Amino acid sequence: MSDWGWVAFAYSIVYGALIAYVWSLAARARRVRGR
Amino acid sequence: MKRNIEIAAAGSVLLAFVAGLAAPPDAVQGDLQRIMYVHVPSAWLAYLAFGVTLVGSIAYLVTRRLRWDRLAASSAEVGVVFTGLALATGSIWGKPVWGVWWTWDARLVLTAAMFFVYLAYLALRRSIEGAERRARRSAVFGIVAALQIPVVHFSVVWWRGLHQPPTVLRPDNPQIDAPLLFALLMAVFAFTLVYVALVGRRMDLAAAEDLLNDAPRPDEDVAGAAVTAPQVGGAAR
Repeated sequence: MSDWGWVAFAYSIVYGALIAYVWSLAARARRVRGR
Repeated sequence: MKRNIEIAAAGSVLLAFVAGLAAPPDAVQGDLQRIMYVHVPSAWLAYLAFGVTLVGSIAYLVTRRLRWDRLAASSAEVGVVFTGLALATGSIWGKPVWGVWWTWDARLVLTAAMFFVYLAYLALRRSIEGAERRARRSAVFGIVAALQIPVVHFSVVWWRGLHQPPTVLRPDNPQIDAPLLFALLMAVFAFTLVYVALVGRRMDLAAAEDLLNDAPRPDEDVAGAAVTAPQVGGAAR
């Protein structure tokens, strides 16, 4: 893999995980509000 | 205020992303060094988050206010996310530069241990019934767990290993060129704002969960209900 490929891999892990965590917080908040 | 922080966090992450891509390549590592613009902020936030857990834990034991417990727990959860990201990005960087995904270097092993210790902290919280008891025991755990933070940070100084010693936080001048340092500090600032925004959201969620757990459930028998609130009309339950 090229250097830029490794960089893209790392960045996608980081920003993907952060987006997933924000989404999970919103989903948990919706679930709590619904109960 | 909270909304403003979230907007500022999103904007600064975008700027940091652009700054990381626009910075010149490193003289030795080339473009691979750009991974540092997400790895270093993640590692910094692991320290910050678990430090805030320590502060929240001590403050809870002193004041017995659950708000401090929520801060400690929320910060620990966000800290686990960033510690996991620091481990993952370090591993991704290690493969092309060191030739291995993982090595038994002191910094790597101690960071992984810290990750698992705070996972245990979160698991402990889920296993204890009662907000007060959970907060008290978690606070003690949060204080003891924080002892490892300086050990993780100084491990690269105390033990010789593959992981490089501090580049920015060192007694003499930072050993990094200004354009690269600027991109790195931008990323640290942006990720710190993201941390503040995430902890704020997580604390709101924790407060809502506490309210929900304290409220009696509709199908729950309340002690004395048969005496104080007799059912009329033979309503089936």
